[in-house]
Amino acid sequence: MNWILAAEGEPNPLTPHVAEIVLGIVVFAILVALVRKFVVPNFEKTFAERTAAIEGGMAQAEKAQAEAKAALDEYTSQLTHARHEAARIREDAREQGATIISEMRQQAQTEAERIVGTAHTQVAAERQQVLEQLRTEVGAIATTLAGRIVGESLEDEARRRRTVERFISELESQDASPASSGGGR
Amino acid sequence: MSQSGPFTEPPASRSQDPWVAFGRLVAGVGIYGLCGWLLDRWLGTSFLLPVGIVAGAALGLYLVFVSVRER
Amino acid sequence: MTIAGLVRAEEFTPPGPGDFELPALFGGVDKPMLQLVLAALLVVGFFWVASRRGELVPGKLQFAGEQAYTFVRNGIARDIIGSRDFMMFVPYLVALFFFILVNNFFGLVPLIQFPSFSRASFAYGLAALTWVLYNGVGIWRHGLFGYLKHQSVPGGVSGPILALIIPLEFISNILVRPFTLALRLFANMFAGHLLLILFTLGGEYLLLTSDVAFYKPVGVVAFLLAIAISFLELLVQFLQAYVFTLLTAMYVSGAIAEEH
Repeated sequence: MNWILAAEGEPNPLTPHVAEIVLGIVVFAILVALVRKFVVPNFEKTFAERTAAIEGGMAQAEKAQAEAKAALDEYTSQLTHARHEAARIREDAREQGATIISEMRQQAQTEAERIVGTAHTQVAAERQQVLEQLRTEVGAIATTLAGRIVGESLEDEARRRRTVERFISELESQDASPASSGGGR
Repeated sequence: MSQSGPFTEPPASRSQDPWVAFGRLVAGVGIYGLCGWLLDRWLGTSFLLPVGIVAGAALGLYLVFVSVRER
Repeated sequence: MTIAGLVRAEEFTPPGPGDFELPALFGGVDKPMLQLVLAALLVVGFFWVASRRGELVPGKLQFAGEQAYTFVRNGIARDIIGSRDFMMFVPYLVALFFFILVNNFFGLVPLIQFPSFSRASFAYGLAALTWVLYNGVGIWRHGLFGYLKHQSVPGGVSGPILALIIPLEFISNILVRPFTLALRLFANMFAGHLLLILFTLGGEYLLLTSDVAFYKPVGVVAFLLAIAISFLELLVQFLQAYVFTLLTAMYVSGAIAEEH
């Protein structure tokens, strides 16, 4: 650098200029402050987030896998449960159906018996009623008929009754059909 | 200058300034040369300046060797 | 220099330090001053825009910004200072590296073509800041006397020779460093730019002004050399920014180091 120092009339480039030194320091200090405030935090935040995202992604994947496995287990168990349930319901339905059928049968039989019984009773009652009526009518008819045939009035109460009684007893001892036919004619 | 990503942590290498040898030589020559020159002016002699320069250079070199040996 | 000797003709005045004294554009402000401000704006603008989005999957711009930032953050700050303390110095080192880099590249950018740090005073300013930084954190870490002892008393030396070594080490670590730092940057930029203008002006003179026919091909060679030197300068400009930042990190690392 001797030639620089030796040059006559040339300015010495090493000479410090206060204005330039101060400007350099001020500009650079402002630059450092701006970088510290606006640049470094942004980059560091991004790096930290990226690290967290990579680590978090792994953890998340593991978690998702575990969750999927849990869900699968649950579904499997639910499916098994549902199968059991379905089988049980089918069994129940079958049993219930059988019960219902037998109950129905029972009920129908009872009803039929009841109807038959009622019919019997009614028939018997009607028959009894008819018999009573017949007995009265047949008595009257027979008396009238006998009176006409014999030609004498059976006015005597006691005799008349006796006659009727005897007649009916005869009728009863015989079959019902000759009596009724005798009555109808 | 290894381009490792921001996620790996390399061991901190406490490497030293490679110019430290130059600095020590300059400092040695400078300070002991100055001492020799001042002594020359004070005592009216003229041989202490080169002695100071050589001694300073020697001390600087010695210091460089010591620091290299230490590591 | 050889070409300059070759063309010592009457008309040709070789470029010298006078070419680095630029006239004031307005009110005492000259081109290098504007360049300094422009470089600061470019650096902070680029990084702000690149880092603003902060997306996990970066775009091209953000990727470029992250690569540049990571280069200084990990490649210089963390590797030199160590992962315990480096984060504190990352803003300074990132700003320092890219500020110097852009200012150096101004030496080759068309229409600007002047490296800001060929003005020595700018380099003095940055070196002074680095000096304040590393001494400041050293005193903050070790206390004033602890730091002076830390920087002045080398390990492995004992006896009477230690008394001779202590001032030497003190001067080497505290006084010489900022000067070498500033002068290395300044001298590289200054010499590189001087070389460039020498070859281009010399080539121009040889081609256009000189009467000697033999000088014309020499002028072409000078131009070709100027182009080659431009590429060399590109490397030097990067290296000087890197070295300045690296040495700052090393000084800081040495100042806050526990062992000695």
